[in-house]
Amino acid sequence: MAANVRVRRPATPPPGLPHIVPSSHNYPPIRQDHLSADERREAASKGYGPGRRSHSPGGLNITSGEWKLLAVVLLIAIGVRMFRISKPDSVVFDEVHFGKFAARYIKTRYFVDVHPPLAKLLITAAAFISGFNGDFDFKEIGKVFENAPYVAMRMVPATFGVATVPIAYLTLRALDCRATTALLASIFLTFENGLVTQSRHILLDSPLVFFTALTVFFFVGFSNEDKKEPFTEQWWTWLILTGLSLGAVVSCKWVGLFTIATVGVCTILQLWLLLGDLRVSPRMWARHFFARAVCLILIPILFYMTMFQLHFLILGSSGEGDAFMSSEFRQTLGHGMEDTYADVALGSDITIRHLNTQGGYLHSHAHNYPGGSSQQQITLYPHRDDNNLWRVVNATVDGYEQYDYEHKPIVYIDHGSRIKLRHIVTDKALHSHEVRPPVSDVDFQNEVSAYGMTGFVGDINDDWVVEIEKGDSSNKESSKRLRTLRTHFKLRHLNTGCYLFSHKVKLPEWGFEQQEVTCNKNAVKANSLWYVETAAKHPQLPTNAPKINYKIPGFLSKFWELQGVMWTTNAGLTDRHMYDSRPLTWPRLRRGINFWVKDHRQIYLIGNPFVWWSSTASVITYMIVRGFLLLRAKRGYRDFDNTKVVKYDSLCGFLFVGYCMHYFPFFLMGRQLFLHHYFPALYFAILLNCAVFDLATSTLRPKIRLQIAAVLMMIAVITYSKFSSLTYGDPWTKQKCTNAQWVKTWDFACNEFLDEYSQYSGVTVPTLNRTTPMATIGGEPGGRAAIVVEDKLGQDVVAPPEDEQSTAVPIGAPEPGRDVFAKDKQKEIKSQMIALQDVPVINENQKEISVVTFEPTSAAPVVAGGKVEVKVQEDHVSATGEPEDRASPEVIGILEKEIEAELGEDVDAHRKPHGPLDHEEAIADQVAHELYPEARDAE
Amino acid sequence: MASPSKPRQRIKVASASTAGNYDQDEDDHVHAIYQNPNSRSAFERVLDTPQASAAMVGVLTAIAFALRFYKINQPDQVVFDEVHFGKFASFYITREYYFDVHPPFAKLLFGLAGWFVGFDGHFTFQEIGDNYTDNHVPYVGMRALPAILGSLTIPVVYAIMKETGYSTIIAAFSACIILFDNAHIAQSRLILLDATLIFFMSLTIYSYVRFRKLRYWEFTVEWWSWLIATGFFMACTWGAKVNGILTVATIGIAVLVDLWDILDHKKGFTMEHFWKHFMARAVGLIVVPFIIYLSFFYVHFAVLTRSGTGDTFMSPAFQETLIGNELLMNSQELRYYDVVTMKHKDTKVYLHSHPDHYPLQYDDGRISSQGQQVTGYGHDDINNHWQIIPTKALPEAGRGRVVHHEDVIQLLHVNTQTLLLTHDVASPLMPTNQEFTTWPKDDHSRHNDTLFYLNIIDADSEDPWKSKSSHFRLVHGPTRVSMWTHSKQLPEWAFKQQEINGNKNPTEKSATWFVDQVISTESSEGLSSEQVPKEPKKISFFKKFAELQLLMLQHNAGLTSSHPYASGPINWPFLISGISFWTENDAQKQIYLIGNIVGWWTCVIALSIYVGIMGADLLARRRGIEPIPEAARGRLWNSAGFFLLIWAIHYLPFFLMSRQLFIHHYLPSHLASALLAGSVLSFVLSDTVNYPISIVGRWTKLRKSEYADLGMKGPVVVGIFTFILFSMFLYMTPLTYGTPGLDGETINAKRLLSSWTLHFAAKEIAEVS
Repeated sequence: MAANVRVRRPATPPPGLPHIVPSSHNYPPIRQDHLSADERREAASKGYGPGRRSHSPGGLNITSGEWKLLAVVLLIAIGVRMFRISKPDSVVFDEVHFGKFAARYIKTRYFVDVHPPLAKLLITAAAFISGFNGDFDFKEIGKVFENAPYVAMRMVPATFGVATVPIAYLTLRALDCRATTALLASIFLTFENGLVTQSRHILLDSPLVFFTALTVFFFVGFSNEDKKEPFTEQWWTWLILTGLSLGAVVSCKWVGLFTIATVGVCTILQLWLLLGDLRVSPRMWARHFFARAVCLILIPILFYMTMFQLHFLILGSSGEGDAFMSSEFRQTLGHGMEDTYADVALGSDITIRHLNTQGGYLHSHAHNYPGGSSQQQITLYPHRDDNNLWRVVNATVDGYEQYDYEHKPIVYIDHGSRIKLRHIVTDKALHSHEVRPPVSDVDFQNEVSAYGMTGFVGDINDDWVVEIEKGDSSNKESSKRLRTLRTHFKLRHLNTGCYLFSHKVKLPEWGFEQQEVTCNKNAVKANSLWYVETAAKHPQLPTNAPKINYKIPGFLSKFWELQGVMWTTNAGLTDRHMYDSRPLTWPRLRRGINFWVKDHRQIYLIGNPFVWWSSTASVITYMIVRGFLLLRAKRGYRDFDNTKVVKYDSLCGFLFVGYCMHYFPFFLMGRQLFLHHYFPALYFAILLNCAVFDLATSTLRPKIRLQIAAVLMMIAVITYSKFSSLTYGDPWTKQKCTNAQWVKTWDFACNEFLDEYSQYSGVTVPTLNRTTPMATIGGEPGGRAAIVVEDKLGQDVVAPPEDEQSTAVPIGAPEPGRDVFAKDKQKEIKSQMIALQDVPVINENQKEISVVTFEPTSAAPVVAGGKVEVKVQEDHVSATGEPEDRASPEVIGILEKEIEAELGEDVDAHRKPHGPLDHEEAIADQVAHELYPEARDAE
Repeated sequence: MASPSKPRQRIKVASASTAGNYDQDEDDHVHAIYQNPNSRSAFERVLDTPQASAAMVGVLTAIAFALRFYKINQPDQVVFDEVHFGKFASFYITREYYFDVHPPFAKLLFGLAGWFVGFDGHFTFQEIGDNYTDNHVPYVGMRALPAILGSLTIPVVYAIMKETGYSTIIAAFSACIILFDNAHIAQSRLILLDATLIFFMSLTIYSYVRFRKLRYWEFTVEWWSWLIATGFFMACTWGAKVNGILTVATIGIAVLVDLWDILDHKKGFTMEHFWKHFMARAVGLIVVPFIIYLSFFYVHFAVLTRSGTGDTFMSPAFQETLIGNELLMNSQELRYYDVVTMKHKDTKVYLHSHPDHYPLQYDDGRISSQGQQVTGYGHDDINNHWQIIPTKALPEAGRGRVVHHEDVIQLLHVNTQTLLLTHDVASPLMPTNQEFTTWPKDDHSRHNDTLFYLNIIDADSEDPWKSKSSHFRLVHGPTRVSMWTHSKQLPEWAFKQQEINGNKNPTEKSATWFVDQVISTESSEGLSSEQVPKEPKKISFFKKFAELQLLMLQHNAGLTSSHPYASGPINWPFLISGISFWTENDAQKQIYLIGNIVGWWTCVIALSIYVGIMGADLLARRRGIEPIPEAARGRLWNSAGFFLLIWAIHYLPFFLMSRQLFIHHYLPSHLASALLAGSVLSFVLSDTVNYPISIVGRWTKLRKSEYADLGMKGPVVVGIFTFILFSMFLYMTPLTYGTPGLDGETINAKRLLSSWTLHFAAKEIAEVS
């Protein structure tokens, strides 16, 4: 039976690179007896002559003996991956996040993450079945688990890790490699320290690698069937399984897209070859095409969307992820908004929200800008608060009569309405002027402030023009006049022509880290759109006036919104991390990741150097040999007439394409990357490594081949055990650790380990939390050695530790990957209403500055000889339309400076390019001025 | 994966003596069937004569000159990037050193033009809008240079098409797309680099086409001349602007494909023959261009000998080669007991200390040494003064008191009389770095911790420590950390000054400091002798070149700030937005860089048609159908394919760049797409091409030849198209020439796409009461 298994097929299953079909009139004739020595011998012993199978067997072809072997391999894998999986009993690396997410699922609190939900859902399922109630918070690395079924949760990735091993075996067998080779691959995978470490903790990469492997296996099986006979039941089964598995891989992590790309490239190649086969009719070809399109595109998409549907179904209540979602989305998360009046008219009290960012409501509070005009701050504030309330006031009528809305007929706000917005709590108006904003200090941005006081109606710089951008199609009126929620509008500052604008820029501490609001002359449309969220009842409206609320988004709009958020955040993950690395360093295993340090033990993600480096070597060997063959073919050597070359060419070519597709795209990514991103590529590299072994030993006797394989396995296991203490977080000695530091850049925390194993038995109280801070270099939060601290507690804490090693390479603390979503969380700053009585005093001073403006009633400022003459008018309340004479000299003295500062840019005094580097910047300044000449033409 | 089977099927290649049998794969027929050239339509015959061709190119060139020189003196103000390139030209005349991200060739030409027309370099092109006439700048002469080069691009484009084997009318079509293009005209009437770039790029293409045509006359004088000409023009393209490197890449890829063909055993060449070809191209396309590229820089350095605005970008060693450089003038050797101030090179803060101490416990719970604070402070202050204390016996006077590289020194903070110290205590902000503090001078208990190695960068053991010009690292003796700072501020307790700490990497690049000022020396002896004017030093050209190249690369990548007119590459072929070059408020004049929308969109359509045809051909041939005649298909794949390659290589890499990009970066690609548009039009109008066009060699197998024949429809179609193109050009001229001024309504009318941000547009929104 075994002989059957090993028989060669002429052109082997998966298409790697297009192979040259040997033509019929080759000279010399093709060698048919390319079978390896053992096969010939074996065949001969059974009485067969050298020959070949006429037909490829299709699918998977495995003997019963092999299943037993596989069972043994599986047991070994279980032993290796699940050995003391309950240790350590504290949080390791990114368990901080993924454990937390499981807790969120169980509590059904909404969160956002950059990864799709499948793997997290599986972990959650395990936790849920084991009775986790979501109370443990997975706060930091090294925190001891309490009431968390962490073993069950860790079992999920561990199971996937174990399952990857037989899959690899079956894949290689399906690829027509020998059983020895497949065994070698499964042992290599089993004893790969990196994969083991990664699969022993609550992390997503183990499921990812598993599904990648599974997809490859199904696809190989499908290709085999395709060679044999298409459109059979098995053919469809393999194809649909491939599609499902593709959906699963991309639902674990977006990196799964690379697997899709691999399968896609190979499918396109299959179709291309099929197209060249003139025996295949166009109709048949179309059938092939659509079968693949449906199974490999449609099914994965549906699978992926189903996962998100589940995700949304589970996460029904609001949580920390709310802040990232739109208001419509939040309506679906429990605490919705109450219905609000639909109509906005002059005199309405409203709250205004920024459309494009999640910054929140247009807000003001009784705090002033520290610089600029020193007037009251305007910010975006994400929470509901009285300070978000504004009253719409008619700007075309002077005096106080404008406030009288009780008796006058209701006036709606149309496109082009000129309004003022009064901040109700502080009784100031939304104001802008030619002062640079505090953070975005560029020429085309103006500061926005709240200005005025009770009894002062304000000046022309308070006037804004409503420009309705679009309404809602279901609500016709909303395109014509301002309606709550449905109308998106811009606010143009009447005097300077700039648009009320906000962007993702935080004000410093003095602004409570709320979002900056400016008036932008060169505004991106998306960031200058606003809408009214709530409108209080207008006195003229009946109590039964129409009310309105956010539209509840359907699944698709929620799905797309979440994809958008994930994408932007993923791209925004550019901070440096202590253990991040660039793709170029991965194949040579330059450095690992410190997962966990505690109690003189460490978990450090590092690959098995033997497996790792040999797989890299075989990738390089493949490239060199393939390049060489290419040149030889060009020079007329007929290497590709040899079926053995053809077989290994397509086999290795397929694995190599998989490797490239899972590795090279990382070079284009700017985000922070980690060693574990290499794992899918590593999987392909290990298979390629074994394929190379298969080729290299193809002429040897099976016994010798087995012996060589056994030696290689031994080496792998020995190397594995050398680093296993780092994998399992076991006791180790300093000496051994230092010896294991083969490469200088492997930064294990050698000093953490004790000198002797026997000392470990003394360390019985392992879970000492770091309560006594040490002022030593490299002191890691969460992981500093407990004993050392205790011994020295009585002494001078400041003194450096006695041992001279302390100044060696610092040991970085284990640090979980960044959770951008957590970091971005808004601080809960209540808008205080302090010291209202101070405000008028400050106002006195501000008024003068603020009044410096282009006098609307007089002629436009004369631009003459690069100078602007600015009329200074002191009192606007009594403005009669006549520009007054210059104010008193001392005021002018101060003011002129201000004016220069404010308007200097307009007079092009600041256009000097600052050296060649800034040269395009300098022009930017220049041009920004000219962009919106409306500023000058406003009158 | 060496195959165990022997290489047994090697085909016997023809021996060198009969190195013939060219193209046996292309044509099995021995019969050369000549098409009679006279069987073509009368129009084609007339147009194809050399006289007609010459007349055509003459007319086109004349129009090109007319359009590019029309009102070239308008506006007599500095426009857009003239601010920079005009300034650089004036620096060449005043010989002051400057720094720019682009190689110097085009700017040298401007300098030369300026010098030729008598510009004395006094005008500094300070701001956009500065008046030339008032300042007596012969700007017309300088603008004439790009205008001439821009005009000459037209005949070159024509010649490329003609040499590639298209009929006269098709060549004229391609030339017209460039000729009547508003963007090309606007760009080449001003002191900007792109006209030079595009001109030399088109010349490179032309030379390469000529070289390819001579492929059956290998190693003849003509063959060599065109090869070297390709290399030469390639270097000029590269030397004009960094983007020229894309032209180099294009030619590189084309050459690789070419060599790959020669390697093919079916051609029957020996390996020796291949290597000969390989070496010839290596010389012509690598060695020659590189020497020429170097020579631009040689001239650049030779001309710019005085200190100028570019000094600060360069290393101290470089700066000292410039006459009148500050480092050269003020740098002086430091002696022990000198009092100095030290600045951090990157963040420009002084090493500072003050009597306040570190707080006992930081916010995160760690504990400090409570020593005196050492911080980085941005302003001049008496607390920045440090005295250099020796750790060895010194002679009474003389050279022995000079501080040298790798000396062990102590630094005494003058105001508090404490010594700089670092120790194994974590710094306030970074637990991984060491805290810096000071220790009383008289307390010797921590003597060892106050010792620092002076590590002067790029210095030999006996080099003295100099102010200004010596960049150094201060490496702590016992712990080997280097004094470092970063732009993070300390909290209030340190007055928000910058943190100084010890970086574990003793060779950290950003831990570089220099002595800014020598406050006082122990004695005045020796100081006076150093005040004599100094001769600039010399360093080798290659060192200078390498340094400048590196800086150019770094800064080019660093140009990432936003610009209102920057645009993404995806917008370019469709002309989504342009650049406002210049405006004048009074007369409402403006120059707006935007292409001729008819020409550009035609090019986009041609590109998509080409891709469509090729895709269809590929699929059809896969199914064994050959829809396109052999000759026409060869032309589409090879020459049009080459044009597509030029287009793609000059366009697609911009998608990977994160620096700010402008629509004028697309102009080289636009030229390539105009060439491609010609090929596509030719294919659409007729199946015939001029074939073969390569010069027949002695052993070339004769092939069935044919002549392009567009008949009547060629001239008619091209004529109508040119008319529309020209009308569109005329319509947009006010925006290209900046004259005459336009009122708001007209501008609204000229704003063909709503995304164009023109100035002085009439308000579309009715003003509210």
